[in-house]
Amino acid sequence: MLEKPQDNPEDYPALGRAISWVDRPGSLRKIIAALAIICVLTFLADFTYEKHGEFAVEDLPGFYAVFGFVGFSGLIVLARFLRVLIKRPEDFYGNKAVDGEVYPPDQLDISEQGDA
Amino acid sequence: MLEQIPTAFLFIAAALVLLLLPQGRIRAAFLLAVPLLAGWQIWTLPEGNLLQVGFFGFELELMRVDRLARAFGLVFALAGFLGNLYAWHLRDSVQQVAALLYAGSAIGALFAGDLITLFFYWEGTAIASVFLIWARRTEGAYFTGMRYLIIQVGSGVLLIAGVALIWRETGSIAFDKMVLGSPGTWLIFLSFGIKAAFPLLHNWLQDSYPAGTVTGTVILSAFTTKLAIYALARGFAGTEILIYIGVIMTIFPVFFAEIENDLRRVLAYSLNNQLGFMVVGIGIGTDMAINGTVSHAFAHILYKALLFMSVGAVLFRTGTSKASELGGLYRTMPLTAIFCLVGAASISAFPLFSGFVTKSLVLGETAQAGHWVVWAGLVFASAAVLSHSGIKIPFFMFFAHDSGKRPKEAPTHMLWAMGIAAAFSIGIGVVPAPLYAILPFPVDYEPYTMNHVVAQLQLLLFALLAFAFLMRTGIHPPEVRAINLDFDWTYRWLLPRLLRAVSGAVASVWGAQAAFWQRRARRLVDRLYTSHGPEGRISTVWPTGAMVIWIAILLGATLILNFLG
Repeated sequence: MLEKPQDNPEDYPALGRAISWVDRPGSLRKIIAALAIICVLTFLADFTYEKHGEFAVEDLPGFYAVFGFVGFSGLIVLARFLRVLIKRPEDFYGNKAVDGEVYPPDQLDISEQGDA
Repeated sequence: MLEQIPTAFLFIAAALVLLLLPQGRIRAAFLLAVPLLAGWQIWTLPEGNLLQVGFFGFELELMRVDRLARAFGLVFALAGFLGNLYAWHLRDSVQQVAALLYAGSAIGALFAGDLITLFFYWEGTAIASVFLIWARRTEGAYFTGMRYLIIQVGSGVLLIAGVALIWRETGSIAFDKMVLGSPGTWLIFLSFGIKAAFPLLHNWLQDSYPAGTVTGTVILSAFTTKLAIYALARGFAGTEILIYIGVIMTIFPVFFAEIENDLRRVLAYSLNNQLGFMVVGIGIGTDMAINGTVSHAFAHILYKALLFMSVGAVLFRTGTSKASELGGLYRTMPLTAIFCLVGAASISAFPLFSGFVTKSLVLGETAQAGHWVVWAGLVFASAAVLSHSGIKIPFFMFFAHDSGKRPKEAPTHMLWAMGIAAAFSIGIGVVPAPLYAILPFPVDYEPYTMNHVVAQLQLLLFALLAFAFLMRTGIHPPEVRAINLDFDWTYRWLLPRLLRAVSGAVASVWGAQAAFWQRRARRLVDRLYTSHGPEGRISTVWPTGAMVIWIAILLGATLILNFLG
């Protein structure tokens, strides 16, 4: 959907305006940089205490870091393959499912910011 | 006086009284008061078997109160309260009555001391809850509700069949720990397994929850599956097969959740994954593992309701819950976004959030029992939870690309419901002791050790880093308008077609043999007709007159013989 021409950030709630920092140019880079720094810190933290995991492999420095990164990436890649196999159009099950339906608007209160 | 009334009856009576009250604030306030009263009753009830009723020669235990049932009862009452607060705006008697009867049946089942009472409430949850789907009042919701009802009632039928077998075998209907072996126990196990959404029995969950109403799905998410978890914890603690069922449950739904577009279905898959952790805890069956299961169910009901509420609020304001249609909503729905992030952090088990202090009990016990493959599976599933519930739900709804939608912030009562659920999720995470205190067994566990905190942070933050990397490189699958096939394809698509093919084949074989015999019969009749018909040879050779002559001749001969004799 296109950006609404009358969209005015001044109309957002104050909290929304504050969070919209994340969409400023350059913010994303800062967020990722901050995340990377925290990641490195948690990795380094592994050397500061004595580990006592149930399994020997847990005591390797950065075990959970590697597990998290590899596990997550593997999940995403596998899921992409899975989608190739099982993706179907929304109306695949026809009128027997809600996926192709519009939610009945009379049960909703669809109102835009700035509506009376 | 209050302890003389089973908690479930409070809800049933309230459903009757409700209809006398005018729609509006009075009714909405009444709907809040009922679960509060029930919660207070559950909190103050003494332990023990409080109420027996005779029933066709059986002694039914309507109120068996112990620590296991009470912990679940408290969170069920709280979930009922939050669900009704979230639905404050609702003016639909069907959903209001259904919500009361559903919560009442679920709580009644928790306190059932025998299997027959359990069966009644078990079916009660099925029948009451389907109205929260049908209340959407669309064709698709009608069919989805029917599928849901067939499976739920089917679970109850298996249960009562198992109860009958067990009663014949042992002469007891008490609902206590069982050992898998006899056909009766297997039937009950299967019945519980259907409601707990075991792998391949799970599809009713992902099929029906996205079809519920905005408020109905929040209420649905709390009861049915956790009732099954309670029943498994009561009946099958320490059953080894549950460990393997559980770990499969934690892993395989996450792949589907990752590529699903409807965010309420993503949450249903993620619910399935969370149930897996609880099932593993039951399978291990030690006191601490059961504590882990109960505490995780407690925390899970709250953060899962919170997540369903946030998606529901977006659906309520925009008319859709599909990730492909949403994005950038934080601008005008910042509070909903923040509450959603709290729910996401809780389910992902970030330190200081509820999942962190509950899930680790199960993981710790798994590791201690030496099941390293299962343990590795659970750690992987923990990272995977982050991908769909921790990241996908809040990110694609409130951030990501700007959809251009500028919906109004969620209504105040929804914000309150989300706020309370969020407060509980943080409260449990920061101060776990009160939750630990109501668990069935004494807890000797400190979640905030350096080891645990650093390990969990590494797991989650590096997974988050992987997400950032995959998004930047475009490897992360985009959100597209589509559905994905799951095992329910077999009975929603394949089975009808198979039946049609089989019935077609049977019909044509039947038709062919019927035609064959018909032809034979026709030919026989035709042949008889040719020989015996009016034009037939037999009729021409033997006319009636000939008969009369022959009779006359025979008679004459007899007369002559008589005369001569």
